[in-house]
Amino acid sequence: MVVGLSAAEKVYIAGGIAADIRGDGRGRHQFREFNIDTSVIPQANGSARICLGGTDVIASVKAELSVPPPGRPNHGKLEISVECSPTAAPEFEGRGGEELSMDLSRALQRSFLGGTSGAGAAIDLAALSIVEGKLCWALYIDGLVLSSDGNLLDALSIAMKAALSNCGLPKVEIIGGTSPEEEPDYELSGNPEEFTRLETSLVPVIVTLTKVGKHYIVDATAEEESQMTAAVSVAVNKKGSVCGLTKRGGTGLDTSVLLDMISVAKRHSAVLRRALAFAGLFSSPNVEKRPVSFCLLLFRRLDANGCRTK
Amino acid sequence: MDFISPEGLRLDGRRPLELRQLQAEIGVVEKADGSATFEMGNTKVIAVVYGPREVQSRSQQQHDQALVRCEYSMASFSTGDRRRRGKGDRRATELSLVIRQTMEAAILTNLLPRSQIDIFVQVLQADGGTRACCINAATLALADAGIPMRDIVASCAAGYLNSTPILDLNYLEDSGGGPDLTVALFPKLDKVSLLQMDSKIPLDVFEKVMNLASEGAKAVAQFIREKLMENTKQLVLAKGR
Repeated sequence: MVVGLSAAEKVYIAGGIAADIRGDGRGRHQFREFNIDTSVIPQANGSARICLGGTDVIASVKAELSVPPPGRPNHGKLEISVECSPTAAPEFEGRGGEELSMDLSRALQRSFLGGTSGAGAAIDLAALSIVEGKLCWALYIDGLVLSSDGNLLDALSIAMKAALSNCGLPKVEIIGGTSPEEEPDYELSGNPEEFTRLETSLVPVIVTLTKVGKHYIVDATAEEESQMTAAVSVAVNKKGSVCGLTKRGGTGLDTSVLLDMISVAKRHSAVLRRALAFAGLFSSPNVEKRPVSFCLLLFRRLDANGCRTK
Repeated sequence: MDFISPEGLRLDGRRPLELRQLQAEIGVVEKADGSATFEMGNTKVIAVVYGPREVQSRSQQQHDQALVRCEYSMASFSTGDRRRRGKGDRRATELSLVIRQTMEAAILTNLLPRSQIDIFVQVLQADGGTRACCINAATLALADAGIPMRDIVASCAAGYLNSTPILDLNYLEDSGGGPDLTVALFPKLDKVSLLQMDSKIPLDVFEKVMNLASEGAKAVAQFIREKLMENTKQLVLAKGR
């Protein structure tokens, strides 16, 4: 994103962050208010759209029947990709968005897919297996950036988590061919009431801390991101384990600062998860019937009480 | 395959001369100069306009009129089966060109010399009639950006299946093998600006289908005008005068 800022604006942004009151009135460790819609894409198995300030992203999960990956007969497949639409910025026209798309997809893959053996993946890959060595679910998670005003990675991770929670896999009935030499014979249930949900409690959320001057902030806007010296994106799951880390930006970070940032990110992820659970998004059993919209206005207050760091 | 039941209903329960439900929203992308989503049934498109602004590459600058550019893209999850489409595939290139030419005809380009207008259309859900839906969304986005236009452009598709002309085909009907005719017109001037058809039909049937598509486009135009009116009223209210 190209942000044209004058020298005075740059000083204003840096000064505001140093004084703990940013351009939009937030403190250094406050998120913007956000809004989540689920089931926005009827053709997908699960989908969610999140508007975080001026950032607007859609995540969809499509499930296809596939053959298990070689060497791991009792696992399913999980794939993540991100696309930046030119609607977000004219610079993304043609191949212009590819670099950023790749950067975001790689960061999300690092945090969601676990190791090459599938250990530590956001979704239990063994749960996606249907017939060992023959049939499994392949989940394709696609992110689309429609509008961009900073903090894309966090927004995408929240949208993907919500889309996975929203995802329903149709029931597969095996009617024959279970012996090793036969091809499996199956039937997909046409009943929309019959589906299984994914266990998504271990799906991480990503919190990006952006360092501007001496301080670091959460949920940076595009203007603030243009002034960053370094940024660390930390993916944290429910257990509080760090699932993925990405450091960006031109300058180096002290190890002590890095560890401090990770602990702050961890606290924020807990608040984020609580706020999402508070909205009932991940516990409600009837979210797939119609698009449900949650406005997380309370989030700010929760944040101010629970997670102020000095 | 029977596309129309003996009771005269289509696969999705519509009558042959019925449009799908239309929905539109203006001003959906904050940072853009103009933006809108347009839905025709399950087909959903978002269009965003950047400009008029400085021409990005000097060589393309025109001293007597604005440069209009368009890019069409499809989200990988927009179709029934997931597939990744490259940005430069033939269909996307052709559609970008079609939308650009249609919108260029409507924009008063001579009023905005040495400037550039970018139109980006992104298909979120494809269920037939994306061409028409993209043009309708682009019209709304251009109007939202305040770009001077001769008239709004409204578009609709029609086809001919089971010896019946039918309006606003969905994906199933679109792939039914009959002709698919897309019309875009200027409703006030009553002029056609885009006309595309594939397959073949006799001339007298063509006239019927063509008239049907034009009628559909006029109904869409009415809807677009109401939406713009509603939006303008809201802006007036917000301004407090």
